[in-house]
Amino acid sequence: MSGPVDNPTTHEATVAAIAEALPGWLPSQRWFAGKDREVTGIRPLSWSTILDGDPLLLHLVVEVEQDDRSDPYQLLVGSRQSEVPDVASSATIVDVDGATFYEASGDADLTAVLLELMAGGALVDGLQFESEPGAELTRGLRAHPITTEQSNTSLVYGSQYILKLFRKVVPGVNKDMRLHRALREVGSKHIAEPLGSISGTLHDEPTTIGMLQRFMPDAVDGWVMATTSVRDLMADPSIAPEDLGGDFAGEASRLGAAVADVHADLRSALGTEDADAVELERTVTVMLERLDRVAAEVPELAPYLSGLREAFDAMRHHPVPVEMQFVHGDLHLGQVLRTLGGWLILDFEGEPAASVAERSRLRSALRDVAGMLRSFDYAAQQLLVGGPDDPVLADVAMRWAHRNREAFCDGYAEVAGSDPRDAAVLLRALELDKAVYEVSYEHANRPDWLAVPLASIERIMTEGTS
Amino acid sequence: MTDQQHTDTQSASAAPAPDSALDGLDDIPHTGEAVEADGTLVQPEADDFGHAEQATSNPDWFKRAVFYEVLVRAFADSNGDGTGDLRGLAGKLDYLQWLGVDCLWLPPFYASPLRDGGYDISDFRAVLPEFGTVEDFVYLLEEAHKRDIRVITDLVLNHTSDAHPWFQASRNDPDGPYGDYYVWSDDDSKYADARIIFVDTESSNWTYDPVRGQFFWHRFFSHQPDLNFENAEVREAMIDVLRFWLDLGIDGFRLDAVPYLFEEEGTNGENLPRTHEYLREVRATIDREYPGRILLAEANQWPADVVEYFGNPDVGGDECHMAFHFPLMPRIFMAVRRESRFPISEILQQTPEIPSGTQWGIFLRNHDELTLEMVSDEERDYMYAEYAKDPRMKANIGIRRRLAPLLENDRNQLELFTAMLLSLPGSPVLYYGDEIGMGDNIWLGDRDAVRTPMQWSPDRNAGFSRSDPGRVYLPPIMDPTYGYEAINVEAQQDNAASLLNWTRRMIAIRKQHAAFAEGEFIDLGGSNPSVLAYLRRWLRPDGELDVVLCVNNLSRFPQPVELELSAYEGFTPAELTGNVRFPRIGELPYLLTLPGHGFYWFQLSERGDEGERRSNV
Repeated sequence: MSGPVDNPTTHEATVAAIAEALPGWLPSQRWFAGKDREVTGIRPLSWSTILDGDPLLLHLVVEVEQDDRSDPYQLLVGSRQSEVPDVASSATIVDVDGATFYEASGDADLTAVLLELMAGGALVDGLQFESEPGAELTRGLRAHPITTEQSNTSLVYGSQYILKLFRKVVPGVNKDMRLHRALREVGSKHIAEPLGSISGTLHDEPTTIGMLQRFMPDAVDGWVMATTSVRDLMADPSIAPEDLGGDFAGEASRLGAAVADVHADLRSALGTEDADAVELERTVTVMLERLDRVAAEVPELAPYLSGLREAFDAMRHHPVPVEMQFVHGDLHLGQVLRTLGGWLILDFEGEPAASVAERSRLRSALRDVAGMLRSFDYAAQQLLVGGPDDPVLADVAMRWAHRNREAFCDGYAEVAGSDPRDAAVLLRALELDKAVYEVSYEHANRPDWLAVPLASIERIMTEGTS
Repeated sequence: MTDQQHTDTQSASAAPAPDSALDGLDDIPHTGEAVEADGTLVQPEADDFGHAEQATSNPDWFKRAVFYEVLVRAFADSNGDGTGDLRGLAGKLDYLQWLGVDCLWLPPFYASPLRDGGYDISDFRAVLPEFGTVEDFVYLLEEAHKRDIRVITDLVLNHTSDAHPWFQASRNDPDGPYGDYYVWSDDDSKYADARIIFVDTESSNWTYDPVRGQFFWHRFFSHQPDLNFENAEVREAMIDVLRFWLDLGIDGFRLDAVPYLFEEEGTNGENLPRTHEYLREVRATIDREYPGRILLAEANQWPADVVEYFGNPDVGGDECHMAFHFPLMPRIFMAVRRESRFPISEILQQTPEIPSGTQWGIFLRNHDELTLEMVSDEERDYMYAEYAKDPRMKANIGIRRRLAPLLENDRNQLELFTAMLLSLPGSPVLYYGDEIGMGDNIWLGDRDAVRTPMQWSPDRNAGFSRSDPGRVYLPPIMDPTYGYEAINVEAQQDNAASLLNWTRRMIAIRKQHAAFAEGEFIDLGGSNPSVLAYLRRWLRPDGELDVVLCVNNLSRFPQPVELELSAYEGFTPAELTGNVRFPRIGELPYLLTLPGHGFYWFQLSERGDEGERRSNV
């Protein structure tokens, strides 16, 4: 991704005009991760001309500065003299010399080109389009963006492929791409097969900017599956969760088995490391520091402080070494898909808020288990949030979550050969740490939801003492 | 049987006459009433009777037909003896034609001691006297064919009743012509890998016969000895049984218990290659001598095994024309209960392509219990918990209930289930009485709960019989919800909004679109797990596309769904019951909202666009 050299039309002025308009436009985009601070400056790092003439398709990487923070973001920008496409007005960035420049991920004519280039294995103005070894791509499919994506932009091509464009670009091979490739190598049954990629150069490093995967048109995400079951339960709280028509425990158990399978695949593909007492101590320290930080912001956490500290401290007595490996890193029900062939795990990027270094570290597989256990609490209580206090429904929600957490662990244990609940101290600390993070997040972003992690903390504390 | 013959047989051997176990056939032509000098039984031949005219010729009729399963005993009683009969059924053909039925499936009406609902056949060439005679059956065929309604019946190839003269001859005279007709053994150790099917009543597949002093093999009840298909004479004798009925004019057979014909050491005795070889032989006979008649396999197996019964796909299938899709039915129930399309989508995805000349038969309920053999243990426990809350509702490995009570008489669910039956891949088989939402009586023994008299009117005996109520073979349903005073054909025919009239309209719509019958099935998936949406896509012989879109809300709550229909961009969906045009399909996902347990059938039409333009002028 460098400024085009051999191209007669450099579009330099156009790119400058776009960059100038971006501070007003970028914060309105859902995928923009820096909404918490004002944008203090945007400058183009590099650009490529994917299609020249009419229509025009540019690829830009811009450095977004927010005081002391700066992050690179990528943009697809289109412009046409005639036949202006039917894209949302919110996509319009700027008018230059009478031509409208717009964010092009919604322009099916332009995005169709990306798939063509990947299928052909093209190098275009510094951008490398590739298909994965052995993957034969169907050409000529048109794409539409999916509306549920949060931090990236995903395009679905003819119900066959999904192209994820990583909005915030990180130098190097993207972790999601790397783990997907490794899992494909060992024949993992629980991933959407990676089929192609787009990469450029950022700070002199080859950098993944897009990943193409098999799209599962038959799939439903785990959050929707789980909340469908909860919805059923809330409609008639007199029925016990296990007697419910929409009981989710069978699915939860199969999901646990799928996660255990993926963990085993990651171990066999990328190996393991042992964490010693020093490493464990470091983890405990991180957890305690986070707790102190959150407690200072959120007074509602006060009643649980001593119990939480105790739970984290107890980790120090966990026998070492602890096996560490590549994990998903941000596993929850929204990251899994129920397909006709079973459960798939998506998005191995790791926690979006964590630093690159943090995301790339090996972790205990229990971190993913803890993440999913937390997600069951969220799914159970989703319908209660914002509503009046209803102790009956709250109790039913707790029982649903309990039943499905247990089923998930059962399914996981069956495949893994060891039960995550046996490492109770570690699992409990990881769950609580996650809940503390949630408390901080909800306090800042969704105060209505604060009750969810707080209720969980109270529950985990009570369970721990009984 | 004449005294003379009786004496002859007695003098030939000390054993009783081979037909002595037959009941009630004294004045009716039947197998074994006379015996040749070499011990061969004299059997009735088709030429002894009149033959029915055939229905209109169309060899592929079964691919689009709506089937209707009717129990002769339960439908209509013509002679006032309290039991339904063939003449009674013939008298109701106008109703069935009005409803839109194309083919009747009659469970066995052969001579039988009725220890297994007539599947224990004691003479393949005689009608059970209480149902009538072979002549009555020919009359039924003739009247049905006049209305372009076809008739198929069950034929049990695998076994006979132990009262069948063949078995009597076989046990009494091991060296006679029938000595090798059954599977005999000196001990009960062979074929140990074959499972016991009726686990509730049978402890072994072998039973000792004190008369012959040997064990005989039976995959089902111990009063139903398996025929020995290793014996070429048995194979030919059974084909002759088919010829007997085909000559009279019957349109086909549902072959009962077909996977079990042959036995082989070291196997489970199901789906063996020799069984398929024999079916090819039977099929070749049909194709050669009786084209247009069909074989329907009853093989309660996984779809991947069942497709084997269609035979070689390279020739469009060379075994059975049809087979029941057993695993689909319990999954329809499970999907609605779970409010999730996955149980249905999964089983259809696991269902292989079938040969071009074949078709599935699909059903919601039939005369047997809701069969749960083809679900996992976990699913079975779940189905029991959901649909058989009272232990009496369970039978064998299944649930004995009718459709309406299974769905708690919820009209929305009845319509949703029927709409799926009429639009999922396969020819639908309705069960008598379900079109009016009849109930069941779980206090009746065995599977009789779902075999009570058809409810024709609020009159005495539900209009089923003129007999004294005490003589009716089973009491009609009389409870306040499902009783014949509330639920009957007469009342529902007069009510435009009744389930009966609704069902009739839906059948008529199905028949207007061959896509429902022969179209490719395309599951549309989608992000809402509670909505099952699929296309049935058929290329008509004239090159036009017939595409039907079916959208089913499996949840009791209203649901939105976004469907990926970009392949049909520019098409206009027209709702099939009212022909109302919906917004044109664009490049973006197509948004629909459905009421709880609601469904839509649309035709996707390219021409709709012009109509809109015209109306804008």
